[in-house]
Amino acid sequence: MATLTATAPKAKLPGLLRHRAVGKLLLLAAVAAVLVPLAHGRWASGAWPHALTVDLSKPLASASNWVIDNRDSHPLFLYFFGYVSNAVVLSVRAVYLVLLAAGWAGVTAAAALLAWRAAGARLALGTAAAFLACGLLGMWVPTMQTLALMVVAVLVSVLLGALLGLAAGLSDRTFRALRPVLDTMQVLPAFAYLLPVVLVFGIGVPAAVLATVVYAAPPMARLTALGLRGADKEVLEAVESLGTTARQRLVTARLPLARREMLLGLNQTIMMALSMAVIASVIGAGGLGDRVYQALASVDVGAALAAGIPIVLLAVVLDRVTGAAGAEGERPGGRAGWAYAAVATVAVALAARLAGRLEWPGAWTVPIAEPVNRAVDWMTAHLYSGVPYVGGTADWAAHFTTWILDPVRAGLQWLPWWSVLLVVAALAWLIGTWRTALTAVLAMAATGVLGVWKPSLDTLSQVLAAVAVTLVLGFATGIAAARSDRFERLLRPVLDVFQTMPQFVYLIPVVALFGVGRAPAVAAAVVYALPAVVRITAQGLRQVDPAALESARSLGATSAQQLRQVQLPLARPALLLAVNQGVVLVLAVVIIGGLVGGGALGYDVVFGLAQGDLATGLVAGAAIVCLGLMLDRVTQPTERRAKKGA
Amino acid sequence: MALAVPTRKAPTGTPDDAPVFSVDGLWKVFGPKAARIPEDPELAALPAAELRERTGCTAAVRDVGFDVRKGEVFVVMGLSGSGKSTLVRCLTRLIEPTTGSIAIDGEDVRAMDRARLRELRRHRAAMVFQHFGLLPHRTVLDNIAYGLEIQGVGRAERRERAADFVAKVGLEGLEQRRPSQLSGGQRQRVGLARALAVDPEVLLFDEPFSALDPLIRRDMQEEVVRLHREEGRTMVFITHDLSEALKLGDRIALMRDGRIVQLGTPEEIVGSPADDYVRAFVRDVPREQVMTVRSAMRAASAQETEDGPAVSPDATVSEAIEAVARTGSPARVMDHGRCLGVVDHERLLGVVAGTEPGAIAGAEQGAVAGSEQYAVAGTEQGAVDGAGRNAAAATGQDIAAGTEPGAVTGTEQAKGVV
Repeated sequence: MATLTATAPKAKLPGLLRHRAVGKLLLLAAVAAVLVPLAHGRWASGAWPHALTVDLSKPLASASNWVIDNRDSHPLFLYFFGYVSNAVVLSVRAVYLVLLAAGWAGVTAAAALLAWRAAGARLALGTAAAFLACGLLGMWVPTMQTLALMVVAVLVSVLLGALLGLAAGLSDRTFRALRPVLDTMQVLPAFAYLLPVVLVFGIGVPAAVLATVVYAAPPMARLTALGLRGADKEVLEAVESLGTTARQRLVTARLPLARREMLLGLNQTIMMALSMAVIASVIGAGGLGDRVYQALASVDVGAALAAGIPIVLLAVVLDRVTGAAGAEGERPGGRAGWAYAAVATVAVALAARLAGRLEWPGAWTVPIAEPVNRAVDWMTAHLYSGVPYVGGTADWAAHFTTWILDPVRAGLQWLPWWSVLLVVAALAWLIGTWRTALTAVLAMAATGVLGVWKPSLDTLSQVLAAVAVTLVLGFATGIAAARSDRFERLLRPVLDVFQTMPQFVYLIPVVALFGVGRAPAVAAAVVYALPAVVRITAQGLRQVDPAALESARSLGATSAQQLRQVQLPLARPALLLAVNQGVVLVLAVVIIGGLVGGGALGYDVVFGLAQGDLATGLVAGAAIVCLGLMLDRVTQPTERRAKKGA
Repeated sequence: MALAVPTRKAPTGTPDDAPVFSVDGLWKVFGPKAARIPEDPELAALPAAELRERTGCTAAVRDVGFDVRKGEVFVVMGLSGSGKSTLVRCLTRLIEPTTGSIAIDGEDVRAMDRARLRELRRHRAAMVFQHFGLLPHRTVLDNIAYGLEIQGVGRAERRERAADFVAKVGLEGLEQRRPSQLSGGQRQRVGLARALAVDPEVLLFDEPFSALDPLIRRDMQEEVVRLHREEGRTMVFITHDLSEALKLGDRIALMRDGRIVQLGTPEEIVGSPADDYVRAFVRDVPREQVMTVRSAMRAASAQETEDGPAVSPDATVSEAIEAVARTGSPARVMDHGRCLGVVDHERLLGVVAGTEPGAIAGAEQGAVAGSEQYAVAGTEQGAVDGAGRNAAAATGQDIAAGTEPGAVTGTEQAKGVV
């Protein structure tokens, strides 16, 4: 009886859904029945027909040559890009010199005191420890280089983002125009931003800073706009009823009311800037990212780890401090506290300078590269393969490649090109509207037109495999976390740390474990996307209406029945969001996997950059954008995602 | 609609002639091409649902006109969706009216430019909101001083002035709290103090107490009554709560679907509802606490003018019931030593039972003209009959309420009036 009552409404709903879905599929089948024979008859081939590609490499190459030829003479470069580039170089240089002039003691003191003012004593201690650890690992100078680049990029991003957000927050029209652009920018992999800036600015610090700005500004703009728009209407009305001018309203009410969102935007911008500043080592950012990049290129895991740890520490410290600053609360001391902090910083910096201890003392470094590499060697010797019964990590990787990645890739590439488009259309239409389906199909077709159909499908196969693994693990862990408080408490700090780490860092351990190739790239993608999927799943399940759950319990449903019949159906939006986030995050890392032998589109980008063959890189970059767009639309439920989960 | 005893405040003294707000032919239509609705008599006459269907427009306020007199509490009451909140926002153009005229002290509000309108909002009309509308990032003191800050008053001076109002609304000791640390009632006191701090000519209240618990709400209502008694400030008060309207209002405009269906004193609304809608609305009102003896009295015979308890013509019927029950004889309605008429138990019961049709109709004019012409003849017979029939039912609860030794109801006022 109990089950009957509980299932009755449920049985009806999917029934209805199926009806609508069947309708959509039938319509699609009808359209396909007309178009496919036509297309097949004209361009019969398994892969994308050659007749339908547009070779962009020649025009792109000539464009890139033109830029290189004219960089020093054309007025556009002389009077605009040249100034931008110089300004960026100068300001990064200036910040870097200030950091060096403050010395390690001064910088550490300044960071700790800043953390103390913004987030309290505990985080101040953590910050000091993190900076000292960077020094101990012998990474003080690269850390300062990365920090200098970050400071400039974050300032520009925040300024740009806040201005855009202000415009979008105050004007409906700007908001409507800006929103789809910002939404789309957030689903694109970081790699896609690199090549256009390189085309204009060449490899170097300006390109790195500008790529970082473009990547990191959207969250600030987005959250500022949302904060301004989300303000309590009645408060604004009350403020208006007292006779405020528009300016007074903005300064005394709207901006303060949006404070929380703007600080969240600052936090996200800083985290994305760090992530990008590290990746931008590929285009000459220098600093910590460059050390990791060089080390990975020579599969020197020890050196990569020595540079990777400071990145992680920096990420955690920046996230916690800015997060705590947004979490409300006055620190004791008020303005006087800031003054004390400033005085203390100057005093420490001066003392260090007088003592002649500006640079990190060489004797204080702990070389970890050597022992780590020994450990990795030992692992390679003992765990890589041939471990009785379980096999070795390299064996697993090889098996994963032969049994999963290869068949999926072969299958995708064997499918006739039009059937791939058909599948994309069906998936996107089932979950969204015909509009999203159209965008998805066009995006997918664009990869073919660009002439990178095969590498795109290769990347796609890696994404599919990684997403499948991520979802199985993520849903299982998420369900477990939603059902057990204790498990969730254990999991939370782990997720917190994992979600703050930049994508790049995940490549280090997988190279240590699995060597290079496609399997490690997939593994890194899984590890990167997993925390977001787990978190969204657990939250979605926990936010299921308690009344519905209670009524199911009161009818005597077992806990499996509750999960299957109440929690999962009601958490459907969250689960779909988890899939979408999973896909977007996996794609970002699979692309970066080109650096560790993932091949496909990511490799094309890296190759293009390394060889100065911008045309190849740009085409691959455009294909990445298309692929990202397609994957996002295919997995996007009808309502827009709230905000980036990671 | 449970109506807790609305402790009626004393009616405000004779209103000045010049109205503070004068509204005429006011329309507010939301939707595409809103301006055509009021212009087109056919569209203007359509009921709400049909109008939405035909034009996509919603008429929130339809052809509303009234005057708010100086020093009175003017209540606009209606259920949600009746347009009352839109109406009050139109007064200071927080919502721009579609057509019609609004004048404050004879000055056309709709013709004001932005600077002049700001001036109006800063100095002449201040508003109190249902959900308080406080700035969460400011302390109580700074919230109260906010209106002064907007006017450009210096920090020290505005804080000093705001501190006076902290005391006035009873928030001493909470100056440095944030709104999130206050209870709902305290927050609304902040909202009230903020409005008072700019010393406005008119206070506008938009359902200020709807979000509060019943007990707190009563405290706040009494606070408003007290403020009004002390300062005599003109108030426009929006509410959906009939007992609140009856308790606070000198005059009440009852709105339905954007129109004013009846405008009058509480006594007129309760005593002679304009239509069935109003009648249904006021059905459960304890009439004896709203109606005055002026409307219930009859002409006195010669010997009746000489003895019996005396009540003021503005005393409520429930006060008269107590006086009559205590002495056992009809009460004389005395105005400045002149006997206007008498109320006996039959008359009083008639009011309680609501079986005295037409008695009110003449009340205003009759009372003003004097006791001699007070028209009772036509209805007397019927009224008494009706009263007699219903008396049996009414006696048990209503009479007892006033006369039981322990019963508090009405005694206090009676003491003050008799």
